[in-house]
Amino acid sequence: MNGFLRRIIFYALLIAIWEMVFRLHIWEEFLFPAPLSVLQTLVNGFMDRTFLIGIAISMRRITIGYGISVIAGILLGLLIGRVKLLDETVGSLVLGLQTLPSITWLPLALLWFGLNEKAIIFVVIMGAVFSITIGTYSGVKGVPPLYLKAGRNRGAQGYQLFLQVIIPAALPSIVVGLKQGWSWAWRSLMAGELLFVSLGLGFLLMMGRELNDMSQVIAVMIIIIIIGLVVDKLIFAKLERNLYERWGLDLA
Amino acid sequence: MYLKRELPKLQLKNVSKTFHTKGVELKVLEDIDLGVEEGEFLCLVGPSGCGKSTLLNIIAGLEEPDSGEIFSNGHKVTGPGTDRVLIFQELALFPWLTVIKNVEFGLKMLKIDRKTREGLALEYLKMVHLSKFKDAYVYQLSGGMKQRVALARALAMDPEILLMDEPFVALDAQTGDLLRDELQHIWKETRKTIIFVTHNVREAVCLGDRVLVFSARPGRIKKELRVEYPRPRHIEDPWLTLQRHLPEYIQYVLVQLKKLPYILNQDS
Ligand SMILES: Nc1ncnc2c1ncn2[C@@H]1O[C@H](COP(=O)(O)OP(=O)(O)OP(=O)(O)O)[C@@H](O)[C@H]1O
Ligand SMILES: [Mg+2]
Repeated sequence: MNGFLRRIIFYALLIAIWEMVFRLHIWEEFLFPAPLSVLQTLVNGFMDRTFLIGIAISMRRITIGYGISVIAGILLGLLIGRVKLLDETVGSLVLGLQTLPSITWLPLALLWFGLNEKAIIFVVIMGAVFSITIGTYSGVKGVPPLYLKAGRNRGAQGYQLFLQVIIPAALPSIVVGLKQGWSWAWRSLMAGELLFVSLGLGFLLMMGRELNDMSQVIAVMIIIIIIGLVVDKLIFAKLERNLYERWGLDLA
Repeated sequence: MYLKRELPKLQLKNVSKTFHTKGVELKVLEDIDLGVEEGEFLCLVGPSGCGKSTLLNIIAGLEEPDSGEIFSNGHKVTGPGTDRVLIFQELALFPWLTVIKNVEFGLKMLKIDRKTREGLALEYLKMVHLSKFKDAYVYQLSGGMKQRVALARALAMDPEILLMDEPFVALDAQTGDLLRDELQHIWKETRKTIIFVTHNVREAVCLGDRVLVFSARPGRIKKELRVEYPRPRHIEDPWLTLQRHLPEYIQYVLVQLKKLPYILNQDS
């Protein structure tokens, strides 16, 4: 709890400095709002449910997009990791596509799907899927041949070998891919929502700009950071700790 | 009448193996001809790098020989099978599973239900004195404990042919003694066919019905030694040292002497 306390003090200090800078009136109030007015905006936003709706819409998109990415990414990673022909062909393509910032898929998505949910979910998938694929792929490639031998010697073959040996052995690397995939999915979603009318959190951010409402902009940014952190702490930190305990790796 | 000679449990015919790494050829095994009888305890000794582990891998169906054939129960070996279970020199325990799940692994692959395989796994863990550690993960075990888990994991599968690659090297003398006794006991009870690789000639002579001595790479069978001394044998038995140095007739006398109590017992 000591670390927790230190963190609380740090953030309290940060807010205090913010308040002090605000009181110096260096910038106009609509460019640099006080902490309290941001808090007020947050409270109002949740009371009149705009923020709740924004969060719900964004979460729905990311759940669908990330969910599809997880399934597709892991499958693709397993395939190119185990099938030499696919490795040499699709494998190099995946590497290339991963370097492409996902938002560059937006124009294409808009033409294909029109201005709707599908387009934005497509962008999320394109952001996340290749990180997950590559994490899975390198995990599969890194499975020590000895474990495969041991599994086969004890009667594992075909899908059993996949489920009981290859996937568990590759899991640490798969989790790294999943975590990276999550952060890319989240960034892609925000970028996509900023760029067209879409109701999610990114749209609320844009609306704040259009209304010259800096406290809304900051309030929504805070929400975005908090969601990112919560998912990281609740899901991935747990997943990693569990994994490290099993494997006896050091908690990095 | 025509009497069919019983086939050996395991038969190797002219098995050779060469590894190619970056254009360098490494001839590891040359023309290994070998028959192992059902229920035989065969020990292999030989210098490091002469291909003992490679040979076990080939028998297990995990490596392919360049030439030659292997027959298990008269059937040609073309891949791995649970009739031939190997205890790897590197043990190859799965770090993502607890000790007991490691032991259960092969049973799970054999589609044995959860209750039964848990019971079996516990039984074998008890045998290697690791019941307390059943829920530990592999990294929490010492080297010797890992070897005992590997032994339990192989025995739990109850294979007809057990291939053991230096399974007792990291054990202290006491535990080694204990497990050698236990292994002889299991072998006697179940009549398994065992091929046991070791660097320790004493251990080989203690355990084996027959000891094969390999030459340095490329591995060939250089010498064959039958050990007729009655069991149970113990690695501290003084005759183990004598076995290698005494002329055969003295060995014979020793063997008869050791048998004497049994013979007398049978008469009365
Ligand atoms: N997969 C492989 N690829 C290339 N070379 C190999 C491979 N496996 C083994 N070798 C080589 O084959 C030789 C025999 O190896 P092996 O492991 O069978 O020896 P060993 O008799 O078991 O030795 P030790 O007693 O030290 O365990 C070694 O020189 C080793 O470098
Ligand atoms: Mg070896």
